[in-house]
Amino acid sequence: MNKELIELRVNGRTHEIAVEPSALLLDMLRQGLGLTGSKRGCDDSSCGACTVLVDGVAMMSCTLLAASCEGQEITTIEGVREHGSLAAIQKAYGDWGGAQCGYCTPGFIMTVKSLLAENPDPSEADVRRALSSNLCRCTGYNQMYEAIRSAIEAERKGLAVAK
Amino acid sequence: MSLPQFKLLRPRSASEAVEFLAKYSARQAERSEPAQTSRGSDSRGRLSPHVPSLLQSPHPHPPYVPLRVIAGGTDLIPSMRQKLFEPEYILDLRGISAMRGIRPQPDGGVEIGALTTLRDIERSDFIRQHYPVLSEAAATVASPVLRNMGTIGGNICLDTRCLWYNQSLTWRKGCGFCIKKDGDLCHVAPGGSKCWAAFSGDTPPALLCLNAEIEIVGPAGVRRIALHEFYTGLGDSYRRLQPNELVTCVFLPESSANYRGVYRKLRVRGSIDYPLAGVAVVMKRSNGHIVDARVGITAVNPAPMLVMGVSEMLTGKALDEGLAEAVSDLAARTAKPLTTSALTPEYRREMIRVFTKRAVLAANN
Amino acid sequence: MSNDFSIIGKPTAMVDAAEKTTGAGKYTDDLGLPGMLIGKILHAPYPHARIRQIDTSRAERLEGVVAVAVGGDAPNPYGILPVGHDEHALALDKVRYVGDNVACVVAASEAIAEKALELIDVDYEVLPAYFDPEESMKAETDLIHENKPHNLEKDYHHCFGDPDAGFAEADQVLEARFISNEVTHAAMEPHSTLASFELDPHTGKLGRLTVWSSTQVPYYLQHKLSLVLEMPMQQIRVIKPLVGGGFGGKSEVIPLEIIAAIAARKAKAPVKITYTREEVFWAHRGRPRTIIDLKTGVKKDGRITAVKARVVQDGGAYCSYGVVTILYSGALLGALYDIPNIQYDGYRVLTNKPACGAMRGHGTVNVRFAFESQLDELAAKIGMDPAEIRQRNLLQPPCITVNGLRVQSYGLPECIEKTVERSGWKQRKGKLGKGRGLGIACSHYVSGAANSIIRSDMPHSTVNIKIDRDGGVVVYTGASEIGQGSDTMTAQIAAETLGCSLSRVRVIAADTDLTPIDIGSYSSRVTFMAGNATLRAAVEVKKQIAAAAAKKMGCEVEELVFRDDEVKRARVGAGDSPAQGQPAQNPRGPNSRGPLFPQGSSSPPLVPSSSQHAEQASVSGRVEGQILRGSLQQKRKDEGLKDWMTFEEAVVAAIDFHGTLTGTGSYAPPQEARGGKHKGAGVGPSPAYSYSAQVAEVSVDEETGEVTVHKVWAAHDCGRALNPVSVEGQIIGSVWMGMGQALTEEMVWKDGMLMNPGLLEYRSPSSIESPAVEPIIVESIDPEGPFGAKECSEGSLAATIPAIANAIYDAVGVRLHESPFTPERVLAALRAKKSAKSLNLTEGVDPTAPERFREHGGVLLFKGKGPERHALDPARRASPAAVEGAD
Repeated sequence: MNKELIELRVNGRTHEIAVEPSALLLDMLRQGLGLTGSKRGCDDSSCGACTVLVDGVAMMSCTLLAASCEGQEITTIEGVREHGSLAAIQKAYGDWGGAQCGYCTPGFIMTVKSLLAENPDPSEADVRRALSSNLCRCTGYNQMYEAIRSAIEAERKGLAVAK
Repeated sequence: MSLPQFKLLRPRSASEAVEFLAKYSARQAERSEPAQTSRGSDSRGRLSPHVPSLLQSPHPHPPYVPLRVIAGGTDLIPSMRQKLFEPEYILDLRGISAMRGIRPQPDGGVEIGALTTLRDIERSDFIRQHYPVLSEAAATVASPVLRNMGTIGGNICLDTRCLWYNQSLTWRKGCGFCIKKDGDLCHVAPGGSKCWAAFSGDTPPALLCLNAEIEIVGPAGVRRIALHEFYTGLGDSYRRLQPNELVTCVFLPESSANYRGVYRKLRVRGSIDYPLAGVAVVMKRSNGHIVDARVGITAVNPAPMLVMGVSEMLTGKALDEGLAEAVSDLAARTAKPLTTSALTPEYRREMIRVFTKRAVLAANN
Repeated sequence: MSNDFSIIGKPTAMVDAAEKTTGAGKYTDDLGLPGMLIGKILHAPYPHARIRQIDTSRAERLEGVVAVAVGGDAPNPYGILPVGHDEHALALDKVRYVGDNVACVVAASEAIAEKALELIDVDYEVLPAYFDPEESMKAETDLIHENKPHNLEKDYHHCFGDPDAGFAEADQVLEARFISNEVTHAAMEPHSTLASFELDPHTGKLGRLTVWSSTQVPYYLQHKLSLVLEMPMQQIRVIKPLVGGGFGGKSEVIPLEIIAAIAARKAKAPVKITYTREEVFWAHRGRPRTIIDLKTGVKKDGRITAVKARVVQDGGAYCSYGVVTILYSGALLGALYDIPNIQYDGYRVLTNKPACGAMRGHGTVNVRFAFESQLDELAAKIGMDPAEIRQRNLLQPPCITVNGLRVQSYGLPECIEKTVERSGWKQRKGKLGKGRGLGIACSHYVSGAANSIIRSDMPHSTVNIKIDRDGGVVVYTGASEIGQGSDTMTAQIAAETLGCSLSRVRVIAADTDLTPIDIGSYSSRVTFMAGNATLRAAVEVKKQIAAAAAKKMGCEVEELVFRDDEVKRARVGAGDSPAQGQPAQNPRGPNSRGPLFPQGSSSPPLVPSSSQHAEQASVSGRVEGQILRGSLQQKRKDEGLKDWMTFEEAVVAAIDFHGTLTGTGSYAPPQEARGGKHKGAGVGPSPAYSYSAQVAEVSVDEETGEVTVHKVWAAHDCGRALNPVSVEGQIIGSVWMGMGQALTEEMVWKDGMLMNPGLLEYRSPSSIESPAVEPIIVESIDPEGPFGAKECSEGSLAATIPAIANAIYDAVGVRLHESPFTPERVLAALRAKKSAKSLNLTEGVDPTAPERFREHGGVLLFKGKGPERHALDPARRASPAAVEGAD
């Protein structure tokens, strides 16, 4: 076989894994590491269900070669939980109906994470623009906006309490 | 859909990349069909008896290249899933940080590394201030996440697109293949022998308006050409780039800095979509009169095109609606869309007209 | 019925929300088994061809290939409808569309399997193919199915009342042709199936089969597997993991589900098949392209006198749900408005394209677009406000419509009223300026079909409940959660009925070994039918608990109230009752699951409390419940006699008393709701109908024809909103999907080739162009629904398309007769209206005359003759031997 041994950093842990040069990051995460939270929804890099963070930047793991990501910090949906509890955005998506079938949800949450990291107080237009990388077939997106707004408020309150 | 098997080359510097290119792309296959394990004598092998006549045809297939370059991957990876490319080697540029960045030059103008992401261009204050048309065009490419990945070099080198070409192997088998890949007929211009796949990048029409140049590095050294010389106007062999060459840089000259700029894109969705037609306009005015103006169009021809005669028509005049319409007629005449994408060609050409008029008026305001 | 509920009616996070937001939940493709192999299907490249021979030997020799299955491995035909058993898992002698299933390779990896597909040699004899339904109906030879003359799957001719007399008394009659092009579900999860056989310990051979599949109908899957594999149903277990959206696309047995089992049997190993997105498009079962010739008559006062519809559906190559679809299209002309005379002629036609089936709003959507558009035109003709003409034609329930549909609860009047009010219809209509307008339309849908597709007397839903000494309530339901909130609805109804907290309830769903039969998640039947079954099961259990508790408390059963995890005597003084001081309503948002610690309870939570922790309480409710239980039990010991008990104490008492604590409930629609006696009367009747009225606000760019939907106000009568956040989500989602069909979505065909088999070219709307939707819940409280509930997931879709069409008319004065309303169609209509400079957008054809747009599925994208075939293209060559000889 022509597998290559690489070090992949995922959710703060380093994995030494053998990959085919043609292996996609998505397949490596799902099949190699058992991190099945990232989903495959299309074959033409259009749906965003596989979105992960690569060095903090949202990217489609179905469009990246696993071996190409060596040395970069990958964050998947499995790495979003905070101290074993739901992160504010995860809780809010559940409460406000941001997730119905849930298949696109991990991708959306990664997109929102990257949006909020860059812009903690996005306008509705900013949110719409950011979410336009991901397709959802259930919600019509409306309830996601409410969820995101509520998560931002929850974070803010949380910070206020912490202070 | 899995990717075909290949070997991955991961250079750390541009010079190493060029070495790899020289070494691995030189192995020219003797025929347009590669002798490759993944193909074997598969059902497409039925086509192989026909290959000699293809080579004699006026538009032979692009020669088989055993190596493909990957940067952001947003164009190549989906195409490889569809088995449009089955190279033996992939040259992965992601690790070459020196090829990334927006570098204003001391003597004016700016140099943009080919690996600079569309997102970095979209967000660059320098670009927005001095080359706003590029900023606008970059911001319309695909979707935000894809712009995090896609690079300016990739957008310039973007493969031409056609609904009969960007399909899975099984699908293409069903339609009997086409000139651009594995076959010898054209479905959008039946009877023709030319490939009409449409160039569908958003930034090149803006770059053409800005008189951009690109730097190409190869075994013979570095050459710098005007971007408009890069495109051939053919749907299949659409760019002038040798298999052992690499686009490393884009230069925007000082002379086209600070033009007003507008990009308008026809798409069905507000995101994700490739352009179905696109118009870039740059304009410089002085005392209410136009000093210089250029219009570039995309997605309606096998190459991005500068509309000829615009500057002559506009220079020295104050823009009015009639003049804008005259320019839009020029643009519509330059557009030769065919049924390579959604929406009828007639409609897309009409939108080149409407969008050009709007963009010219907007650039004037 | 009291409106004072503790669980239902409150916005509630779905019971599986955390699984979905953390990525921990497992969908079928996330599953794996030791030794699992991957299956890949070889698809036909021709729309219509006879298979002369299949040679799989080269594929079988490839290293890593374990088996190759072909049609002969399981030749029994099947189909979702008993009248439509016309499919084979893998083709036997013929392929009928590009993408039809020919063979399946089982290999160690996807890459090897894909490689092996290229090594299968299939010798096809290409046959003439049919792509246009009206052409297909003329076919005499080369029929798609030999037993279907003229490629006609089924036709129905219904006449109710006296349509001729109706048209004679009308003051205005309009007649037009409408076309709705083909759309598909495009659920985000591509179909996936994992099949595994166990070895039988007695015979040592392959024994029981377990199938995990992305299905809306586990029971039907079990049934069809049994048929094709010739195995008894009890040897087959179907498990439905999380399903990533269905919308009807998983509401019947999809080829891969059977193929995976055939392949697993042949390979003697677990096999998983997951479709590529392209394969999902080929599996399809979406909404057929529909040609509607519609004639409607009204009197000057707005009353509809008669409707005549001729509907032709381009059904694709197999029956699928087709017979039901064509019947729904006619039957659901009724039950929305009071229409005294209806004539309906429906034709379901076979063509060489993937089979159409059931999609959200099954059967009603396209005809509703035509009807509501024409009603709008008629309103303009008689000078009446479009909202008012709808109000002039209301039913007077309870009633039975002219075509035999029983209507009881009817929230349509309130839907129209509210949507008109909220949208500012009266003040704003006609005053929005150039290019901007408002349009109104209504729709409705069944809350489950009153007659199951397999005619029998079995209940449509059955639910079991088991409660053990720990006080945990386990509900076993066959209902399929596909993202619509079915599990949450089940838990809510059980908890409300038993008076326990939601966190006590665990729902075990859709596993044919564990859960009783439910016919599945389709036709919006789950809340009404499985909900009623849950309610009945819970009531049965509750009776047993009540009997024991009453004994303990020394009171009558009738005196007991079950609420907030307590069982108490109703006559207890207000001050002592823990539940009395309950907060009126929880504000929308987090922590909305209902109070875990009712105000006034003397037992404070033992967990240190801050505002932050209180918010998290609902998340970790189970743990805190344990702590609470301990404290309460301690408290009970300290106190004297019982006028109230904890739920657990009552449960323990009941188990001590009865020995076990289980309950069962089932639901079958009442005989009165099952419709008339005419041929085809079985489709359309429902125990209850939902109603929707919508106003859309759009603007139209008159130079480009681009339509922007700014906002949709959507009022939906769902009977009672059991979970408002879910109901609103379903309304918004329906409206949004309707908008997609109205503006951007269309399956584009050329010579049987689907030109856009991916999410890049099949344009499901992104967040940018998706409008704000204001959902307005209308509660008509149905007399038979669980707590009065009806459906909420489908009825709103159909109104959106005509509401947008009518708004476009209001904005720019053009009437669109063909969906989707792409910019080129709108622009062509605008240019035609202005008779401006002739624009050769559509080869000079006036798009307002849609009968001209029939080529290859009526699509504007591709014109002219089909491409010339490659000289070596098998579609052109006489035989493969001849070609090889020519070398």
